[in-house]
Amino acid sequence: MTTESLDPPAMNVAPRDSGFNVRTLSLVGLLFVIAVTFHLLSGGLFLTARNLYNIVVQTSVVAILACGMTIVIVTRNIDLSVGSVLGCVGMVIALLQIQIFPQEAAWNWPLTVVIGLALGALIGAWHGFWIAYLGVPSFVVTLGGLLIFRGAAFEVAQGKTLAPFDPIYRLFGGGIDGALGVGPSWMLFVVIMVLYGLGEILVHRRQTRLGFHSKARAKVLRFALVLVAAAAFVATMNSYLKPRSDIGRGVPIPALVLLSVVLFMEFVTRFTTFGRYIFAIGGNIDAARLNGIPTRRTVLVAFITMGVLCAIAAVVTTARLNAGTSSTGELLELSAIAAAVIGGASLSGGRGTIAGAVVGALIIQSLESGMVLIGASSSQRMVAIGLVLMAAVFADKYLSGEE
Amino acid sequence: MKRRTLMSLMAGLSMSALLTAPALAADITVGMSWANYQEERWKIDESGLRAGLEEMGATLVTADAQSSNERQASDIDGLLARGVDALLIVAWDSEAVIPSVERALAEGIPVIAYERQIEYPGVFYVAFDPVEVGRIQARELVKVQPKGDYVIIKGSPTDQYAHYVLTGQKEIIDPLIDNGDIKIVGEQWTDGWVPDNAQKNMENILTAVNDKVDAVLASNDGTAGGVVAALSSVGLEGIPVSGQDGDIAALNRIALGSQTVTAWKDARELGRLGAKVAAALASGTAPEEIEGAVVWDKGPKGTAQNAAVLAPVTITRDNLDVVLDADWISKEDLCAGVTDNAPDACK
Repeated sequence: MTTESLDPPAMNVAPRDSGFNVRTLSLVGLLFVIAVTFHLLSGGLFLTARNLYNIVVQTSVVAILACGMTIVIVTRNIDLSVGSVLGCVGMVIALLQIQIFPQEAAWNWPLTVVIGLALGALIGAWHGFWIAYLGVPSFVVTLGGLLIFRGAAFEVAQGKTLAPFDPIYRLFGGGIDGALGVGPSWMLFVVIMVLYGLGEILVHRRQTRLGFHSKARAKVLRFALVLVAAAAFVATMNSYLKPRSDIGRGVPIPALVLLSVVLFMEFVTRFTTFGRYIFAIGGNIDAARLNGIPTRRTVLVAFITMGVLCAIAAVVTTARLNAGTSSTGELLELSAIAAAVIGGASLSGGRGTIAGAVVGALIIQSLESGMVLIGASSSQRMVAIGLVLMAAVFADKYLSGEE
Repeated sequence: MKRRTLMSLMAGLSMSALLTAPALAADITVGMSWANYQEERWKIDESGLRAGLEEMGATLVTADAQSSNERQASDIDGLLARGVDALLIVAWDSEAVIPSVERALAEGIPVIAYERQIEYPGVFYVAFDPVEVGRIQARELVKVQPKGDYVIIKGSPTDQYAHYVLTGQKEIIDPLIDNGDIKIVGEQWTDGWVPDNAQKNMENILTAVNDKVDAVLASNDGTAGGVVAALSSVGLEGIPVSGQDGDIAALNRIALGSQTVTAWKDARELGRLGAKVAAALASGTAPEEIEGAVVWDKGPKGTAQNAAVLAPVTITRDNLDVVLDADWISKEDLCAGVTDNAPDACK
């Protein structure tokens, strides 16, 4: 972090790292209530290894998008195009991998993923350019993008469904072999917890050195809670067996992709200048500009990030379905926005967390899955999710003491 | 179903007695108002329509509304001004087009709703029978799985077509439900016909019934793809699954054994049927006297209309040669990944 000396440390570490995030914790509480309720209503189906595994896999796509949506919303913008961009990038990957490149080539699927990510970045840059440099409102630009890239998704293969994908590529979707297995899952758990522990110690030392009061006891407690939760998660994923065998599945690969995205985005929003800029811009764009923050470039980068995340989500979605279809991702923008907002992102800008967005996505998917388990129809699901969206935002406002 | 996405050209199949019409249509001009011609499938319909009319010595003039109600209204006015003797319409919006339909009927020009129903008295309706699609799906599943636990993955709840398909499915399975052979253990609509939604619904249903599923009535090939992906992640790939459209991916699944049936609609045949009906109405044949005409009153308003409906073709692993012979799909695409237990078409 080269720019540390330029910024008052109070801006980045002190307020956000002093113990527990009440907002996120209350969301976790809501998630818990939803889970227990559905568990009782469905006659004990919800809190099973199998259902939790499914929910994790089903949530990953929306959660990846919600991470990007959060930073876009924090800059006081919106992106309505994510579902269409996902569909378009997915179709391009499918076309290249299945029809253009030789099927048997080992470089085929990795190259299509790289091209997909580059295309996502390019589309994000296209939106960001219109918004940041041409001054067109993001609502309008990305509404245009919603239409353009859904149309483009159709044009790529004239609406044909393309299948099947490379078997290795399919692992990204978490199908029958798309999980880490028992041993590697525990190894991943150990590595992550060691890194997390070391990180906490480093932050604690620095805060103490800089003269802040760092709540060591709260941090130890938080570490312990995360440790227990992560261990429970890995144990649960390991206890869901492959069909007709006693081999545990382990952490699904889409969850691993999501975890990487979350860690990266948490790092970016908490510890980089870019992260501080997006919050400053969302808080007050004029003040940010007058303070010398490159507002245009920052918004551009926020949209490029969103584009890349759309491409990552496209890889997971197409690998999961094992087909590229022109309707893939339809209406996902609404789930992504709802997840970010339930997770505490404020549409007036300047506020939002990555962890919150992920929990928001989990809440939406738990409602969706839980209601199917109890046999509710899709229209009833829509009503329920709409109500939870409104209630969550109201509770958030109430808890945070805003007007 | 996926009306927007029918693919690639194919050769004509003679499959219906409807299509052997007497040639009596010289000097007739037929107008066609397309809703959105840029979509691949309508080019296929047009080749059948044009061929059918040319064989009878009739002429075709067309206009494309490019997905706009206003444009379709002015297109129809234009076609009427050119003096067409019969008017075929693929409605962009089957309600908004009604004022134009009224104008044409007032001028004494016969109007034929092509593929998309326009529920208005006096309009002739020409389409693939969507109810038959559902019957085909259910019939083939029941053949291989006469008893057991069924799941229904329905189409988009806002699309009338999905309701027609469901009606056909129910016709076949309801008696079997009543006598206890078949039990519906899960049933969900698929918002927007999106395969990902079908996949999630199927995964959750599998959880709810702890994998006790014997067959899945999926309403089109896209949703069938989602269902098969969900089944394969719990090792159930291979139980009977239905579909419609004849998607390349679905035909490949049939060859591989992970899908049972697709209801295939040859758009050129529908074009030829449209040509025959238009020419007959234009030369003064009474609508109810057209060969094969039936009364169709299954729309949401229950309006009784004269109609000619075409049965889709049942495609299973036993007759995959039909789609090969029609050049609908290449053998390479059809048989990709097929190794052991190959169907005859892949040998």
